Formats: sequence, structure tokens, C-alpha cells
Amino acid sequence: MAQKKSLLISPEACIGCRACQTACKEWNQLSAAKTKNAGTFENPPDLNSSAFNKIHYVEFPVESGVRWLFVSQRCMHCDDAGCMKICPAQGALYRTAEGAVAYNKRKCIGCRLCASACPFNVPRFDANGKIAKCHMCSDRISAGLQPACAKVCTTGGIRYGDRDDLIAQARKAGYARIYGEADLSGLGTLYAFRDAPRLYGMNEKPAIPETVIFWNNVLKPLSYLGLGGAVALALFHYVTVGPKKHEEVDKGE
Amino acid sequence: MSKMIRKANAFEILNHWVLAVSCFVLVISGFGFLFHLEELNSVFGSFSRMKAIHNWTGLVFVASLFLSMFDYLPVSLRYGAEDIGWIKTAGGYLSKRAVVPPQDRINTGQKFYYLALLAAGYAISASGFTLWFMAGNREAVLIAHLVHNICFDMVVIMIPVHIYLAAIVNPGALRIMITGMVPLEWARSHYGKWVKEMGYK
Amino acid sequence: MTNNWIDIKNADVILVMGANPAENHPISMRWIMKARENGAKLIVVDPRFTKTATKADIYAPMRSGADIAFLGGMIKYIIDHKRYFREYVVNYTNASFLVNPDFRDAGQLAGLFSGYDTKTRKYDKKTWAFQMDENGVPKKDNTLQNPDCVFQLLRKHYARYTPEMVSEITGTPKEKLIEVYETYASTGRPDRSGTELYAMGWTQHTVGTQNIRAMCIVQLLLGNMGIAGGGINALRGESNVQGSTDHGLLFHILTGYLPAPTASVVDLKAYNEKNTPKTKDPKSVNWWGNRPKYIVSYLKAIYGKHATKDNDFGYAWLPKLDEGMNCSWLMLFDQMLKGKFEGFFAWGQNPACSGSNAGKVRKAMARLKWMVNVNLFDNETGSFWKGPGINPADIKTEVFMLPACSSVEKEGSLTNSSRLAQWRYAAIEPIGESLPDSEIMNELYFRVKRLYQKKGGKFSAPIVNLAWDYGEKGPDGKIRKINIHEVAKEINGYYLEDVYDKKATPPKLLGKKGELCATFVHLQDDGSTSCGNWIYSQSYTQKEGKIINMMARRKKTDPTGLGLFPEWAWCWPVNRRILYNRASVDPQGRPWDTKRAVIKWNATKLDKNTQKPGVWEGDVPDGPAPPLADEKAGKYPFIMRADGMGALFGPGLSDGPFPEHYEALESPLRANVLSKQRVNPVIKIFYEKGKGAEEDVFASSDARFPYIGTTYRVTEHWQTGVMTRHAPWQLEMQPQQFVEMSEELAKQKGIRSGDKVTVSSARGKVWAVAIVTERFKPFKVAGSTVHEVGLPWCFGWQYPEDGSGGDSSNLLTPTAGDANTMIPETKAFMVNVEKA
Repeated sequence: MAQKKSLLISPEACIGCRACQTACKEWNQLSAAKTKNAGTFENPPDLNSSAFNKIHYVEFPVESGVRWLFVSQRCMHCDDAGCMKICPAQGALYRTAEGAVAYNKRKCIGCRLCASACPFNVPRFDANGKIAKCHMCSDRISAGLQPACAKVCTTGGIRYGDRDDLIAQARKAGYARIYGEADLSGLGTLYAFRDAPRLYGMNEKPAIPETVIFWNNVLKPLSYLGLGGAVALALFHYVTVGPKKHEEVDKGE
Repeated sequence: MSKMIRKANAFEILNHWVLAVSCFVLVISGFGFLFHLEELNSVFGSFSRMKAIHNWTGLVFVASLFLSMFDYLPVSLRYGAEDIGWIKTAGGYLSKRAVVPPQDRINTGQKFYYLALLAAGYAISASGFTLWFMAGNREAVLIAHLVHNICFDMVVIMIPVHIYLAAIVNPGALRIMITGMVPLEWARSHYGKWVKEMGYK
Repeated sequence: MTNNWIDIKNADVILVMGANPAENHPISMRWIMKARENGAKLIVVDPRFTKTATKADIYAPMRSGADIAFLGGMIKYIIDHKRYFREYVVNYTNASFLVNPDFRDAGQLAGLFSGYDTKTRKYDKKTWAFQMDENGVPKKDNTLQNPDCVFQLLRKHYARYTPEMVSEITGTPKEKLIEVYETYASTGRPDRSGTELYAMGWTQHTVGTQNIRAMCIVQLLLGNMGIAGGGINALRGESNVQGSTDHGLLFHILTGYLPAPTASVVDLKAYNEKNTPKTKDPKSVNWWGNRPKYIVSYLKAIYGKHATKDNDFGYAWLPKLDEGMNCSWLMLFDQMLKGKFEGFFAWGQNPACSGSNAGKVRKAMARLKWMVNVNLFDNETGSFWKGPGINPADIKTEVFMLPACSSVEKEGSLTNSSRLAQWRYAAIEPIGESLPDSEIMNELYFRVKRLYQKKGGKFSAPIVNLAWDYGEKGPDGKIRKINIHEVAKEINGYYLEDVYDKKATPPKLLGKKGELCATFVHLQDDGSTSCGNWIYSQSYTQKEGKIINMMARRKKTDPTGLGLFPEWAWCWPVNRRILYNRASVDPQGRPWDTKRAVIKWNATKLDKNTQKPGVWEGDVPDGPAPPLADEKAGKYPFIMRADGMGALFGPGLSDGPFPEHYEALESPLRANVLSKQRVNPVIKIFYEKGKGAEEDVFASSDARFPYIGTTYRVTEHWQTGVMTRHAPWQLEMQPQQFVEMSEELAKQKGIRSGDKVTVSSARGKVWAVAIVTERFKPFKVAGSTVHEVGLPWCFGWQYPEDGSGGDSSNLLTPTAGDANTMIPETKAFMVNVEKA
């Protein structure tokens, strides 16, 4: 596998211009929804099958006045991806050579299990029920281009590159903890947060739901172990005890 | 040649096989989903098709399961001294010398098996329908997914046991689900209490 | 911009005041962030905590319309704490000039300067003049001690602008003021630079020009003009608005900032006498002394062979303004409402939404016989006759729609804020029936010309004599297709004869007949050169016979390391990337800051042209003359000013040589805290009770409209949104008119975020969705609490079609204009907000 690529999101550099939102729609040819102003700049209100990324606006008072944060939200391209774990359809979700979690709509069976297993509530589904989400512009990156959002970002709020380089850059810029560096075996979307992740609307400790892990680690192997075990047990019984004899039973009576 | 008596009627036999086949389809496709068995595409066509078949077969399965209750639920809930005896002797499966008391229309093991199947069958269906129709409800889906898979594990253990007991370890038992007719003597030895209650001599 | 976009990265302190680049000029933030990475401090002064403020080291809230008070306080701070760059101030500004002893400042005359006439509401500027010595050169006191010297007058004028006073006017906490002043004043050293970024937040006030003047004073005191990372930088709000201003779009100027002639200036001689500044100081370059060359070359460009020495080069054909006539935006629609116009070309604009007091604008259009709407889409202007509250049956105006193609469908140049003219190419063919503007003009010109030729008519000469050689002509004499390169070449100018430098012996050939001009330095006043716009001369030139489109250059070399990129496109004048760069060096020609040397004098290197030692290295200098210290040939740095000096004292403006704080026409205050003069004394007052049109009504310190209102743009929409409201992706992000307000005001009015509210002014009302935010805070002004709200002006009733977007916030803004430019005061007015 090639050197793993990542996106590095730096809310401190983001100016909330949302060129990333438009560029994503432009490249991926996504439609716009009819929206309303709900008393915030944030729109569309949530990710949807035609909005693979969006800027989350966070505003809160602090001692010196106010803070207004702009956080790009999208698929985190987890190394240990809950969606890929739970997905029942071979090839519907797949890992690109660059490390992105991409998908093949033709193979998606529309079961939506991925949405439940995602620690970040990312997968959305189009009118045909097929998955739709950020795929790190897998078609662009496989051709050596940057994802559309990173390409149009003027301030370095979204950067794309070799994961190790990005982490090194963020460290050099003084970010002690890089969100996603180790979470879920390493996220493909890294965040340089100055403060606690929760201030940016992020989970402090993102995790795949425990039931999914239990299923994956226990129930899934148990299914063939159980089947095999039952067959083996029957075989063992057949050899050691053997089948019932009709006559014997009669005699016993 | 011993006298043949009717152990199962046509409806019961038909329903049994509907249940068995649907269960088989569900389990195979279930394994397909679990382990991404692309080889099954040659059978089902694609994962999408397999999902459709799995879902609709699930409907058949639960309908069949429901109908089976008319055949087996009352008897499965009726217990007597013979059941204690059956348990004590482990149904005679562990020792050829064990003396199993005469059993009802189905034996204690079958009663337990049926109840377990009923429970697992309904649970797997209910969770299956949840996954099918409540996709998007994160919490419900997670619970359903867990239940579906626990039941799946139960079912895949129970199936070989059932096949072994019915088709291999009890010679002659398979006939019940083919013609429905068994020799009176055979019936008496396996379902003594029932034969007596039915008034066969 | 005196500097350029990229140069922002060279600054140590960046003051953003009157602008919100993160929202409106997002790409500039790249350079602001780069500066910050290098340790620069970003200061944002704004009524609202903006997107730019999120990146600021210091954010200082200030109520709209109080900028001069804020900056006046800074000037006082710089002088009191001796933070000014003394050597720069003495040598490069008019600080040492002595002013007429009869001059009185606003502190002495209750807010007025000497010479005010209450009847005409104008100043007689006699007392604002400099004292001249026997040679006709301003008298100076380089010790800056003389009480009549500019520096002392400046000190005295701003003595009243104490932090306490400023805080009371602006609502900015005193500690914040000091913090800003201290930080910005730290750039008053040779090795530190400070830049200022402004936009409409400064210009759109009745004191707009003086807002900028105040900052010019600050920058001159701190020695920040001409240097890398310095300057006064207007962030232009449209990709080519710099270009349009350069090319004479405004009523009072021709191309290249040549004054538009007036009716009383009857011939070219009189024009030149009136408009050519003179100096008797040999050290002053006085570049505008060349004006006669530029006007003649301009006339040659537009009238071609018809412009001859004998007919004054067609000067008589130029349109003339009546004496004192003002044809600015506000006046145009005022006159339109009075029925003074029959027709109107609304070309690439949407006045029904963009014009201040848009209600008046919409009414005015109904008085027209016809209107031609040239635009990409139909808009609220073209469809004004079916707008809200209008009965189409009552409207007699005939409206024609001419579809224009978009910028990506045509070739040409764009000039951005950096004065950088960049050539760009057509990406696609024009869609449908749409045409490039040039083709529409070609059609129009040809048809009008033919009518004049066939039917004659009054004063046909300006039309029939126009040179219009922009491509191959058809049999009917019409240009088949405009070749935009020919237009660019005409702008650059040609040598119409072999042109010689007559000062050299023997005369040296500057350019061959028929070739493109190399530079405006070669332009002549005898008709031997043509040039459509002198500042663009060199943009499309010829070297050794080879034609070069300088604007199409794309080389990424950066020899100075300052990001000047001299071979990327071309910038006016003569590719000078930082204006007044002679002020970036000391009188000996050594850069004030060697680490950021824009230019430096190399005394030993041979000049290629003159073969004498001594050349400037780095950026293109403001003239090749040796440094100021050179006894014989040294020149002052501010070459566009007759006296060569940066103007701390600016007698040229109509409302005072020093900026003075006045309240906006509509203000929350009954009286100006600083003086008895409430509003700018020389602005045109459109409305008085019983006089003037009702549409122009205003309500200052009026309980019905208790809150300050201001307007702004959002990243997602372009101007009035004609282009972006039709782009679903943009509309999705900003779908509706909104109004931002503080938690405190919202609580008082029972408004919650997302509620629909009505915002009203004395002139109109709009509905908007409330965004209740911590980013707006009430101000403590003159002892009381003042609330401010803000609305974008990018929405209009016509699209989205279901009306869900709302209507233009310019329905609220007043008919009031700046004293010098008449730019409308849309950034500070009074409103009320109620839950709808």
C-alpha cells in the first residue's frame, strides 16, 4: 500500500467560507436542498446524501468575549472503520490505496447498518437507499490530485497529504494532541484542535458501538464454530454411542 | 410388516419443509452476509438480490413458524412425569441401556427444541424486520443486529442437531416428515404415551 | 491598494477596520494567516465579532460611524507617546509645512474649520493654504516646533481625542483602545511595518473619505507608506472594480483619473491650466504635471484621426459637466425621481436592491420611459414594475432585457485590488443569445452612429468621429466581431509618429510610428501618441518589434522574496507593485528595513539607459531619480502630489484638512459628544421638514428607531445576489435575509434565534430571520446603552421565486452621501426591530 494519505482539518485556520462545501458538490455533482435560515449560518442543517461535508459553526462566550469556531465535518475515514466492519455486502465499502473509506453504490445493498456502526454518524443514503458520504474524492486522489475541498481551501483549513507529514506539520504548528492520530487505529481525517474536542462538537473518545465489537469478535466466529461444533458433536455421538436401535428399545420395554 | 399409523398430516409435513427450506436459505445467505461469500453470487446473483431474497424468505419463515405453532405449541407446553423421566435418562441418547418413559406426541427433547426454535425464530424474525424496516434508527438497529446474530448462532447450532437426531441417530424418524406414516411398533417405542392415548392397540 | 494582496504577509501588524476580509475577501486571509504564522498581530475593529475577528489577536468592538474618533485617538496616542517615525515624518510628509496663521481647527471653532459658510454649507479654503517662501515653495520648520506647522496643528487638533472621549463616542472599552493603539503604534519604527485593510465599512459613510484620510495620517506618522507590509489597502468588493474605476467609470473622472471636463472649461488649454498642478520645488517630481500629455493621448485614442491639433484634439466633443454638477449615484436616482431622465441603461447592476434607499430607487425607475437591463439574469431592476406593492398597470416604463454573457464566456483583462491587470481567456462560448458586453456596445454604437449619419441630429460629432477599430469591418461598416486585444492595445497606446526624446542630444528614438507604446513616460502632448488610459501604458507593449501582452504573463519569479512576482501579469503603474516605494528608503536610498527591502539604491552599478552609475534595485521605483539626499537630482517620494510630500494636512478635501468626528446623518445621539457640530457640515441634506422628497426622510435620535443598523455581505452571495441566488448551492448555504443582534437586545424584544422579525427605518421595512448572537454586544455610548443590528444586502424579492429569500436591506438605508465622493451612507443608520 502506498503511503497513507489523510486530510488535516485546522479549525484555527478555517474562516468558514464554505468553499469546501461548494467544491464538494461541484466535483461530486450533488444537488442542493431547499433550506431555511434557522438562526445560524450553518446550512444545510446536517450532512445528507447531497452534502458530504459541511462547516459546523460553534459559538460560545468566553471571558475575553466570544469564540466562533468553524469545524469541517465529514467522513473520518477510520482505520478501524465500524461501517466497513458491519457492512454485509462484499465490495460496497472498500479501502482505497490511499487509505480512504470509499464505496461502490452498485454493490451497496442499502441495509444502512453502516450508519449504526459509525462512531461519527456519517453515512447517509440517497433516494435509491444507497450509501452517500465523503469518499475523500477517491477518484481524484487515485489520479494524484487533492480532494476538491482541500484544493479550494485558501487558508490551509483543510490540507491533504501524507499522513505522517500532516501530523508532523500540526505538531510543528504547536498542536500537542492531534485528534484522530490514534483514535480507531488512526483516522484518515485528522483535526488540529487547540482545545478539548467537545468544544468543536467532537466526541472525546470516539468508538465503534460495543455491540458491534462484541458481534464482530464473538458472535461472528461463534456462528461457524457453533455450526462446526454441533456437527462434530453429532459425529462424536454417532461414533461413541451410535444410533438408537428400534428393537433394543422394544426389548427394554 | 407392522401396521402403519399416521404420525403427521400433510399440512404439518408441508409446513415443516417450508420452514426447513426457508431456514436453510436464510442461514446460507446469512453466512454470505457475515463472511462476504462472493461465491454465493452464482446462486443469488448479487448481494442486493441476496438481501431481497433473505428479507422475503424471512417473511415466509416467520409465517411458517407461526403455522407450526398449531402443530407443536400445545404439546410442547404439556408436561408430565414422562418428561422428568426423559430428562433423567437424557432421552436415552447417552446410554443404550437407559430406559426412557413412554413419550407424548413429541418427546421432551423435541418439546424443548421446539420452544427454543420458536423463541429464536421469533426473535430472529423480529430483529430481522427491525433491521429491514427501521434502518436509520441507530439504537434499534444496533440491538436488532445483536439479537439477530445471537439467534443466528443459536439456529446454526440447532440445525445440525435436529438433522442428526431426526435423520441419523433415530433410524426411521425421517419417515414422519416424508409420508407421515410410521410403523405402530416404532411409534410405540418412541411415542408410547401418545400411541396409547390415540387408542392404538 | 497602495501595496498588494500578497504583501499583507510582510506585515508585523495588520489592522482590519471597515472590512471583513474573511467573509468578503476570503483569499486575502491566506496572506493574513501567513503573516500571523510569522508572528504578526491581527487587530480587528468592527461593531460585530466577524469571521475575521475569529482569527484576531485583538478584537475591539466599535459602534458603526465612529471610526474617525477611534483613529483620532490613535493619532493622539502616537504623538503623545512619541511613537511616530520622526525621520520619515520630517523628510517625507508635510508635517514641517507652515500653514496660514489664520487657520483654525475644529477644536477652536466648535467642530468647524475656519472658512465655513453656513449659507452655502461650504468651506472657503483660503486659510487652509500653506505659507510660501519667496521661491513659491512651502515654508518649513524641520524642528516641527513652529505653532503654525502641520505637526503642531495636528497635535492640537487631536488633543481632544483622549481615550476617555474616544471611548465615550465609539463605545470601545478604554483598555481595548489603548491595547490597539499600543500594538499598532509599535510599527512606528524602521524595522516594523503595519498595514491597514478597509472596504465599504469605511467608505460608505458621510465621513467616508475622511475615515481613510485619518488612517493615512496614522500610516504617515508611523512611516508605513511605501514599505513592504505597509500601506493603505482598499479591498475592492468586485473582481474588476479597480479596473472599472481606472477606466473612468465614475462621473467625475475620465480614464486614468483625469478630471472630467466641466462646461466652463471651454478648451484644452483651459482644461490643462485648471487641472495641471504646478510646483516650484525642484525636488518635487509632480507627476500630474504631465497631465496635458495624457489628455491629448486620450483624445487621440478615442477620436483617432479626427483629433487634430487644429480642432483641439476633439476636446470640444467630450461630454461636459455643468459647473458644480454632481452625477453620483444618489443624484442620478434623485434626478430620475424628479423625472429628469427618459431612459436608463442598467448595465451589470441591480439598483433596485443595491442602491441605498432602494424604495426611492424603485419609485424613480417608474418615472422612466424606457429602461435597458443588461445582465446575466433578469433581476429586481428589470422587473421592478411587478415588484412588491407595485401595480404593473400603473407603470409606463418599457423595459428591454439584453442578456450579457458571464465573465468566463469572454476574453479580456481584470484588474484586482493589487492594481494587477490579469489577462484571462474564455472558458466556454456565450450561452444562448447572450453576448459579451463589448459586442452589445458594438451593436449599440453602430446603430446609433448609423442613425446620426442618416438623419443627422444635434452634436453628432462625438459619435460619428469616434475611433472604433476593434476588428474586421463588414460591408455595412460595422465591426463583425470585437477583437478585445485591439481594445487592450488602444488602452496601452501607440506611437502615431516616430517619437524622440528631445532632451537628449542627439534626440533619441523612443518609439517607431505604428508600434505600441513602451511606457507612459513616452506619451506626448502634440498628438504624436495615443493612449486610452495612461496608467495602463505598458500593459500591451512591443519590445524589439515583438508584441507582448504583459497582462498574460505567468512567470512565478520572486527576486525580492517579498511576493512581488514582477513577471506575473502586469500592474499599473509601470508594473510597480508597491506605490510610493521611494518612501521605503532613507534619503540616502538605503531601505529603512533591510530585511524587507522594496527598493534600494545601488550607487556604483551603471544605469543601462544613461550609462551613469547609480540604479535602483528591487521593485520598479517611483521614478528613476536618485535618492532624495542627492543635492542635484534627488526627488521627494510622493510623486503624485505637487509638493512631493505625504499629506498629514490635506487641504484638498471639502470637509476639512484634518478628519474630524461627526455623527452619521442618522445616529443614536442627539448631539455630537465632541463638538456642537452633529453631522458633517458640508454634506448634502436631501430632506428637511417640508422640503425635499418624502422618500429621503431620516430619523436621528428618534425613539421610533432606536437601534443602529448596518449592512454587509456574506461569502455565499455576490453583491445583490443576482448571480448567486440563482445558484442553488449558494442559496442552500444562505437562503434567507437575516438580521444579527445581541442576546441583550433579543431578550429585551422577546426575540429568539430563528424568529421572523421586522426591521424598519424611517424609509422602509424588511422581514428577516433573527440570528441572536454573542458576537454582537451592546455599546456603552455617551453614558447610555446603544444596540446595533446588522443585515446582509444580498437578497431580493424576485428570486427565489417563492419569496422565501426576503427583500433587500437597502430598503432601509438613507439618502445621504459622503461630503467628497457622495458614496451612500449605508453602514450607519437607525432602525427598529420587532418580532413579526
